[in-house]
Amino acid sequence: MNATLYKQMMKVNMKSFMNYAFGSAFYILLMFWLYPSLAKNTKAIDELVQTMPEGVGKAFGLNGFGSAEAFISGEYYGLILVLILSIVCVQVSTQLMAKLVDQGSMAYLLSSPTTRGKVAFTQASVLTTGLFLIMAVTTIAGFAGNAWFLGDGYVFDTSKFIQMNVAAFLLFFAVGGVSFLVSSLSNDEKKALSISGLITFGFFSLDLVGKFSEKIDWVRNISIFSLYKPGEIINGNADLAVPFLILAVIGLVSISLAIVLFRKRDLLL
Amino acid sequence: MLTVQNLTKTFSNGKGIFDVSFSVKEGEVFGFLGPNGAGKSTTIRHIMGFMKPDKGYVKVNGLDTWKEQGKFQSYVGYLPGEISFFDGMTGKTFLDFMADMQGMKDLSKRARLIDRLQFDVHTPIRKMSKGMKQKVGIVATFMHDPNVIILDEPTSGLDPLMQKVFIEIVLEEKARGKTFLMSSHNFPEIERTCDRAAIIKDGVIITVKDVHELQSMQRKLFEVTFENQAEAKTFLDSGLLIESHEGDRVRVSVQGNYDKFVEETAKYKIRNIDIFTQNLEDIFMNYYERKETMK
Repeated sequence: MNATLYKQMMKVNMKSFMNYAFGSAFYILLMFWLYPSLAKNTKAIDELVQTMPEGVGKAFGLNGFGSAEAFISGEYYGLILVLILSIVCVQVSTQLMAKLVDQGSMAYLLSSPTTRGKVAFTQASVLTTGLFLIMAVTTIAGFAGNAWFLGDGYVFDTSKFIQMNVAAFLLFFAVGGVSFLVSSLSNDEKKALSISGLITFGFFSLDLVGKFSEKIDWVRNISIFSLYKPGEIINGNADLAVPFLILAVIGLVSISLAIVLFRKRDLLL
Repeated sequence: MLTVQNLTKTFSNGKGIFDVSFSVKEGEVFGFLGPNGAGKSTTIRHIMGFMKPDKGYVKVNGLDTWKEQGKFQSYVGYLPGEISFFDGMTGKTFLDFMADMQGMKDLSKRARLIDRLQFDVHTPIRKMSKGMKQKVGIVATFMHDPNVIILDEPTSGLDPLMQKVFIEIVLEEKARGKTFLMSSHNFPEIERTCDRAAIIKDGVIITVKDVHELQSMQRKLFEVTFENQAEAKTFLDSGLLIESHEGDRVRVSVQGNYDKFVEETAKYKIRNIDIFTQNLEDIFMNYYERKETMK
């Protein structure tokens, strides 16, 4: 870990982290604000969802409107948050490694008395910190929204809400780790961006397609996104330990691999 | 101080550098010359530890630059051939960042360099001209007072005045016992600063020569304009090497025999003399060709 580099990289990326974090916080607050007016008509909406083909509701994580966290899990954690954080992972991981190699500014980092291992580890820490910040701000906004718009009049299960946020963080730790690995091995910024974009959104689409129909349900097994089940967490029928562990391991292994391979690689600087 | 030993790296397309060896003594300025694509950058990448050699090694101050990353850099100042900085920085924030990365405490040398190169450090880097970026790069190279300085095309983008200042800086540092490796196309720069120079072509070191020897290899073309065509014609028989003749103008190629050239031209009334210096690539090409024919 190189403290100077960490500080500098956080400074450079802080603005975009905060933009995403506040965008996410704003959206979740909006959902909390909407919920009370929808909750009155829960039944009607639930019926409407019932009339949709089963796959559609499942794919987009529509999870009923019985409780605030169920509503949020369906309306936000099921799709929008996943998209936002996928973009963050792909973009930031590319900027942290491949872009510096492509532009040549990595030469300056490596000509100062530090090692490649330290540089890669520091950059991975910046990515992880960013993801953590975004999820932390989102979680806090969730609590604020609950206190602000819902009060005691509505059901809100705090621990499940937190579990759902931890699940989201771990999913993107894994996705970010894989993107970071791609980025660390690339000489070309655009190539890194398209490869990790393809992997991330490919996994995402496999998961989505798999949810549409029972028949092709198996494709979800290929995708790491299937380890993230906000709906099931809220409904209380998800096994947390195994998916959490797998996601954490994927993230850690990818980042370690990125560091090891970056150390041995020829750099065209 | 800087040793490159049997350095070999073969790329998948068969190109690369092959068995490159040379060493630069403490306090010496070593030129590294050759046409584009000859392997200069590849060699410098190995010196900076950006690439892993297939064979051989590079040592700076006794430290292997591939195996001992994190240590050798504190002795080295590096000016990349193509400078690119980080987004959203001004010259000042970049230099502050680099000073932190180097663990520098004493900023007086940096201040002196900025003062000498005359540029506004508060300009955002993306708004800087190429020459100004080069100045920022030069400050970053020298500010931590390294013992070994690696310069890749150092004066590209600088105006003649700043090239002069740069050469002065190099000579002062040399006088303080610093060691340089400098790749360049600019002959005056090499002439004025270097003690020895290596010539590389197709990944192989052709020769390592004293700079005075290189100087004597350099040919200069003089375009002499005579009073009238008749005089120009008689001049053709002077025994000098005539490149071309057109009307009252004659192009003479001179290599070392300046005496004779002055002697011969002094016999006539001369209206004008233009000088064309042969560029380094041409000298090398000549050199290679002569070698080839000698074989």
